[in-house]
Amino acid sequence: MQKTKRQSSNLLKLIIIALLSTISLVLLFINFPLPFLPTYLKIDFSEVPALIAAILFTPMAGVVVEAIKNLLYVIFTGASDPVGVVANFAAGTLFVVPVAMFYHKFKGKKSLISGLAIGTIAMTLGMGVLNYFIILPAYGAFIGWDTMSIAVKLNTVLVGVIPFNVVKGVILAVLFIPLFIKLKPWIEQKKATIG
Amino acid sequence: MSNSLIIGQYVPSDSFIHRLDPRTKITMIFLFVIFVFFANSAASYAWLTAFAVGIALATKIKIPFILRGLTPVWFLIIFTFILHLIVTKDGDILFQIFSFPVYSGGVIQGIAISFRFFLLILVTSLLTLTTTPIEITDAIESLLDPLKKIRFPVHELALMMSISLRFIPTLMQETEKISKAQASRGVDFKTGPVKDRIQAIVPLLVPLFVSAFKRAEDLAMAMEARGYQGGEGRTKLRELKIEKRDIFSFIIFGLVIIVLFLLRV
Repeated sequence: MQKTKRQSSNLLKLIIIALLSTISLVLLFINFPLPFLPTYLKIDFSEVPALIAAILFTPMAGVVVEAIKNLLYVIFTGASDPVGVVANFAAGTLFVVPVAMFYHKFKGKKSLISGLAIGTIAMTLGMGVLNYFIILPAYGAFIGWDTMSIAVKLNTVLVGVIPFNVVKGVILAVLFIPLFIKLKPWIEQKKATIG
Repeated sequence: MSNSLIIGQYVPSDSFIHRLDPRTKITMIFLFVIFVFFANSAASYAWLTAFAVGIALATKIKIPFILRGLTPVWFLIIFTFILHLIVTKDGDILFQIFSFPVYSGGVIQGIAISFRFFLLILVTSLLTLTTTPIEITDAIESLLDPLKKIRFPVHELALMMSISLRFIPTLMQETEKISKAQASRGVDFKTGPVKDRIQAIVPLLVPLFVSAFKRAEDLAMAMEARGYQGGEGRTKLRELKIEKRDIFSFIIFGLVIIVLFLLRV
C-alpha cells in the first residue's frame, strides 16, 4: 500500500512538471523585445512556471522545466539558433535555482523577495561571465567571426547582456511576487497532498 | 501565431524523406552539421548545397514554404556577410564603400560563411518540416537509451516531453480563453505603465496554473487506473523500425561525405 502511494505521487509530479513546461513554452512564445535593447534579447515570462515547479518540489524540478521547454522549442522551431537555446537554458537555471534554494531554506514572503534579488544577481553575473567566455565565442564560431575582439565582447556584455538580465530579473520579480502571494495558500495545500 | 505553435513547422506529405525513421534523420542531420565545417573550397560548398537542395526538393514541400521558415534568419545571414566584408582584410582591394575598403578575401569569406550558415539552417529546418514533434520525441527516447546505464531517467524525460507536447494546443487555447475573459472584464495588457502591464498578467496566470494542476491530477489518476507503472516492460503504440530505405539513405549519405572530402583543397 505504501509503495503504490509513493508511485502515484511520483507520476503526478512528473505530469505536473510536464504541464508546467507546456505553460512555460506557451509563455516563451508570447515574448516582447524591450525598446532600448537589441532584438535578440527578448523578455518573456517562461521562467515563472519553472519557479513554481522549483518552489513546489525541488530546485531540480525547475531545471527540468527549463530543459523541457528548450528541448520542445528546438523541436518546434528547428535548430536555427542552437546557441540561443543553450543560453536561455543557462539563464533560466541560474535564476531559478538560487531563488528556490533560498526559499526552501528560509520560507516566507521576505525570503522570496531576497531570493529573487539573489537570483537576479546570479543570473546577471553568471550570464555576463558565460557570454564573455563561452556564448559570444560560440556565436563567433557559428557565424565564422573567429577574431571577435575583446572590446567587442566586453561591450556586448556591459551594454547588452548585463542590463538585459537585470531588467529581466526585476520584471520577473515584479510579476512573481503578487502571483506568489495569490497562489501561496494553494501551493501549500498542493505541497501537503503531493510532496 | 497560435496555429504555428500547435503544429510546429511540420508539413504532412508521403515523401521518401517523411517516411524515413526519425532516428535516421536526426543522426544524419547531426553528422551533416559537423561535416559542413569541413567544406573549404567552392566545389565542396557547391556539392553540399546541391545535396541539401536535392533533399529539400525530395520532401515534396513547396519551396516558398521552406524559405518562409527561414525568414527569421535571413537577417543573420546578411549580417554575417556584411561583417566579413568589413572585418576580413585579405587579398586585393576590390572597391570602396564610403571610404571603407572591401577586400576580395572578405567577399570570398563572406560568401563561404553565409553559405555554411544557410546550409546549417536549411538542413536542420528540414527535420522539423518532415517530422512530427512526437516522432522526434520518440527518436530522442530511443537514441538516449544507452544513458539508462548511468541511471539517467530517459523514459521519464520522454514521458514528460510527450505529455507536454500533447497539452500545448489545450493550454494555448486555455490561455487565449482566459485572456479574452479577463479582457472582457476590463484588464488591459497593452497600455498603461510597464509595471501595471506586467502585473496584468497575474490574473491570466493564476487560472492557468490552477487548471493545469487539475488536468495533471485527472491524467495521473487515469494513467494509474490503466495500470501505468513506469517504463519497465511497457509496449509502444508507435514502434520505430529501421527499414531498407534508412540503410539506403545512410549509404547515400556516406557517399556524399566521401565526395565532400575529395573536393576539399
